[in-house]
Amino acid sequence: MTVSVTNEPRGISRRKFFISTIAGSAALVISVENPLAAGKQVVNLLDEGSPLMLPPNFAPSIWFTMESNGATTIHVLKAEIGQHIGTTFAQIVAEELELDWAAVRVDYPEMNATNQDRYGLQMTGGSYSTNEMFDRLARSAAVARGILIEIGADLLGSDIKDCKARKGKIIDTVLDAEITYSEILSETAISHTVEEDDLVSVSLKKRQNYEIIGKSLASLDSPEKVNGSARFGIDAYVPNMIYGKIIGPPVRMWATVKSIDDSKARGIDGYIKTIPVNLPKQMGYMVESAAVVVASSFPAAMRAAQLIKVDWVLPETPPVSSNDMKEHARKLQKDPNSGEKFVLKGDVEDAAKDSLTQISAEYHTEMVTHATLEPASAVAQQVDGDWHIYAGLQAGNVMRYFVSLLTGVAPEKVIFHPHHVGGGFGGKVEFEAPILAVLVAKTLGKPVKIIFTREDDMFMSHPRSPTLQNLTAYIGKNGTIKGLRHDVVSGWVGARFGEAFLINSVDKKGKIDAWSNNGADHWYDVPHQTVRAIQNDLVQNSFPIGAVRSVANNYTVFAVESFIDEIAHDTGKDPLEFRLQMLTAKGKNAGDSPDTLAHHTVPTFFGIPSADWKKWKFRPIYHKSPNIGGAKRLANVLHIAAGLSGYGSRNLPKDTALGIAISAAEERAMPTFCACVAEVTVNRTTGIPTINEIIIAMDVGLAINPDGIRSQIEGSVLWGLSNTLYEKMTANNGKLEPTNFDKYKWQTIEGLPKLRIEIVENGPYPSGVGEPATSVVPPAITNAIYNAVGARLRSIPISREEILKKI
Amino acid sequence: MAQLKINSRSYFVDAAPDTPLLWVLREDLRLTGTKFGCGRGHCGCCTVHINGEAMRSCQLRVGDVEGTLITTIEGLDSGTDHPIQKAWIDEQVAQCGYCQSGQIMQAASLLAEIPDPTDDDIVKHMKFNLCRCMTYYRIIKAIKSAAADIRKAKS
Repeated sequence: MTVSVTNEPRGISRRKFFISTIAGSAALVISVENPLAAGKQVVNLLDEGSPLMLPPNFAPSIWFTMESNGATTIHVLKAEIGQHIGTTFAQIVAEELELDWAAVRVDYPEMNATNQDRYGLQMTGGSYSTNEMFDRLARSAAVARGILIEIGADLLGSDIKDCKARKGKIIDTVLDAEITYSEILSETAISHTVEEDDLVSVSLKKRQNYEIIGKSLASLDSPEKVNGSARFGIDAYVPNMIYGKIIGPPVRMWATVKSIDDSKARGIDGYIKTIPVNLPKQMGYMVESAAVVVASSFPAAMRAAQLIKVDWVLPETPPVSSNDMKEHARKLQKDPNSGEKFVLKGDVEDAAKDSLTQISAEYHTEMVTHATLEPASAVAQQVDGDWHIYAGLQAGNVMRYFVSLLTGVAPEKVIFHPHHVGGGFGGKVEFEAPILAVLVAKTLGKPVKIIFTREDDMFMSHPRSPTLQNLTAYIGKNGTIKGLRHDVVSGWVGARFGEAFLINSVDKKGKIDAWSNNGADHWYDVPHQTVRAIQNDLVQNSFPIGAVRSVANNYTVFAVESFIDEIAHDTGKDPLEFRLQMLTAKGKNAGDSPDTLAHHTVPTFFGIPSADWKKWKFRPIYHKSPNIGGAKRLANVLHIAAGLSGYGSRNLPKDTALGIAISAAEERAMPTFCACVAEVTVNRTTGIPTINEIIIAMDVGLAINPDGIRSQIEGSVLWGLSNTLYEKMTANNGKLEPTNFDKYKWQTIEGLPKLRIEIVENGPYPSGVGEPATSVVPPAITNAIYNAVGARLRSIPISREEILKKI
Repeated sequence: MAQLKINSRSYFVDAAPDTPLLWVLREDLRLTGTKFGCGRGHCGCCTVHINGEAMRSCQLRVGDVEGTLITTIEGLDSGTDHPIQKAWIDEQVAQCGYCQSGQIMQAASLLAEIPDPTDDDIVKHMKFNLCRCMTYYRIIKAIKSAAADIRKAKS
């Protein structure tokens, strides 16, 4: 917790705050934590002999600042990527601080060395943001409310016991008197020191008394997003900047620029120079080489790029195509010694011996890329030795270290100015554009704006790994699963970012990337279970695979939920009943107790000094686990979704059926319990499936903004649909293809299924909502297709040809 | 070089006549509400109105639009009060918002043509405007509610 904590030893001082009148505020003790607190004396340009006094703000925490007019600005350190996170955070603060919603603003502070220490690690991903910040914001706001009540009571001459805060006022309920926050802050200057103990002991509002949390308020960033005034990274501008367009290598990884022939481009008006960039070759750097064509305008750079010839040194290893990676995956899976244990429960060998039958199946998923409509871009500008980076990124603070590592600029000299992100989905945790912008700006001594064209962005993308999974179930009496073996062969996203990103395997024999295997550790009670995580080194060495919305859950949930369905059918059971029988919340599937504190083990990225990392490590004390209730909550949402769909009780038209699937993405420590029912009709002549309806029941614990949650679910359901029906990135001789939207197809406004969403609030604590529905849609659809026409599909995206073949 | 009329204002730009209008708007005139998405007319992020018709500014040469009336998202309504913009806020359409300028310009041209569009009309008219956040359900709802508002205002 980095909220306004003093360095004084604990136990000596409880909360202290100092009040004085505005006139005497020069003598104030100023909070050092939130720099916006400071009121100060400044020069009067019209009369230097009579200085002006800037009024102080009330800034009891680093997370928000109150002005004397009563306006409160919530400081949002997460990236705005379409989830309206600022609105969510503002609702949390406004609830506990009893703000008038009309007086609430948000801002997105810059990330420099000082702010990095103040705010700690602030990454936007994993659907963590709300869960991570909820308690921190709520408690900070509640402490501030207490201070305002105390001062308000003082100013009213009231007994504090009679006073309460409400909608921007302190009200004396006995005397029927009131004073607004604005009046309080205009009459007094408050300085304060808040102890961490205050945050622990402060009493929060009761859930049943919430008035702002739980309300579908319009997001604060809506107006600017409909009139063109929202500032995205690609909109950044600094005076005198020049433009860079990249020429990427002929293979995605390990190439080197040998020479550049720009003789034909020199006649292009505005052309300046082409800069070769060859970075140290280490996994995770995102870009090893590129030629950056620089011109006075971006169109001139594009024109010149067409006339420039770059000669490359290619890697010695043969270029890799999709099929090579698939064959390699199968070879790895067949090798009993490959991989490490991600889950190890009981002894699957024993289960195998005791079993009556066994069932096996193999599943494949193709690469999917982020394809954010805003391509990568960045502006880099050097002023007085500091490097200012203007971009829309999901982890701008981590970018500071990557830029430092690859450009030799000290991290404290790199300052990130956040912008709205034109689509994230995990794609904007990559930093090619800022790195190249700094390198080119450094070479030419001018501010540079790098813009990736669509083709550059797709070619240089970081797709989700292609995967192969093999599952075997050992079936005992009554068709129950005795043991389950699951092999996941994939590239490892975490491995790209360094050894520190990997965790020990359960038997401590090796290292594993949990990020790339989450979801294989599902919540079904199975007596014996092994999950083997096998890194596909050919994928790893050929393409810098990335985290794409819901990450591993996209493929693990597809395999697990397809396989559970297959077992149910093979053993003559109803897929719904079969699932519910295994969602009994035994052992660790019971979830954590309400007192357990979640501790996200976020490892250090390479390049970030571990001392810095330790400094920012969140004190997990306010960070309660969202998985309380465990598999029971998963069973509950499954009941709800099945009930809403009329599962088992409806007469469906010919070749039409329901399919179900569940997930607890993003991970066991941070699950959002989600169930999906898909209704699908398959045309037996064409093989074309029509997705009639999708039903989602999602237990989010606590809903801060229900309409915002619905919006996220709508988008992620369509992502899941898009992944099922269309999206496929391929590797062709070391290149990623296709590179534009004529060939890289995804869901459009055409062919939308009916959608029904049920939000369940069955937990004490909010969990993430931006991703989970993505993973649950594909298996619900393929299970429905099987139920409709008997075609079992074991790879996504699906094809009508395969359906036709299998009918 | 080109003499342009954008959002009822006159501009002179020193750009080669074959320069895509998109880049002139964004980088020369800093009317950055019009977005770059694909550069090939596949996504619709760069949609503007030329003489009242929705067109892709990445496909148009700046020299060719001299003497036309160009409207960008910044000029659709001076107070963010266009019925489509209001409906977009009421329905909370935007997520990341990057494609929404193009969506709104495309939708405005639909309603100018068809005051009471059916779902099919909307899909037909909007299907080449991609949204990666996939806010399509709300786009349909917002277009319908804007259409109703416009009809109500007229009657």
